[in-house]
Amino acid sequence: MTDRNVADRAEYLSRRRARMLPVLAILLIMQQGSFFSSHPGADRAVDQLKISAWLVLSAVILLALWTGGSWLQPRRVRELLNDEATQVHRTQAFRVAFLASMMGCIFLYFLTMFTRVETREAIHIILTIGLSAALISFGVLERRALRDG
Amino acid sequence: MNAARFVMAERLANGLKERRAELGLTQAELAERVGVTRKTVNTVENGVFTPSTTLAIKLSQALGLSVEQLFWIER
Repeated sequence: MTDRNVADRAEYLSRRRARMLPVLAILLIMQQGSFFSSHPGADRAVDQLKISAWLVLSAVILLALWTGGSWLQPRRVRELLNDEATQVHRTQAFRVAFLASMMGCIFLYFLTMFTRVETREAIHIILTIGLSAALISFGVLERRALRDG
Repeated sequence: MNAARFVMAERLANGLKERRAELGLTQAELAERVGVTRKTVNTVENGVFTPSTTLAIKLSQALGLSVEQLFWIER
């Protein structure tokens, strides 16, 4: 792959990633419907499958955000996809996610004063808030950076 | 009294766009020379992103200027 091809491929993937990040966040939030609609019990195999899908998706998103993702791309393309500006955007997204998660915890703490919240429900809410915040924040920063070329 | 209150707002300005235009380079071509994406060059040019020392040196070398000629602090 020539330098030009590597750069073009990275540019294309970078744009696609910026478009996909908010979509992934929406998908993740929508999956919560499966958990909360099947609650309590969630004994049916189909419910367990839906919950497992959410967990797998959450783990993959977390890993992709942490490592930079694009694992199947050549090393040079991966390096460009995670260049300096992208790393800064990821770091900023993690900061936003941390703040959102902590605010979610505070909200849940107050909620437990008025209603009973199951441990699994709390985990679902906090994990979803954190990951969604990171995805949206990263997406917004990337889209902004790609604009005004 | 809080001394920090009297610190003026500082911003890293640069002459990247002008120098790049002088040399007839596109953002993509400059990005390729320094090993980053066009997006990173774009954000540095627009002052949205403050580059690391390493990237600032690479950009200066690619554009044939010293770091101080390419970047300066605006108050």
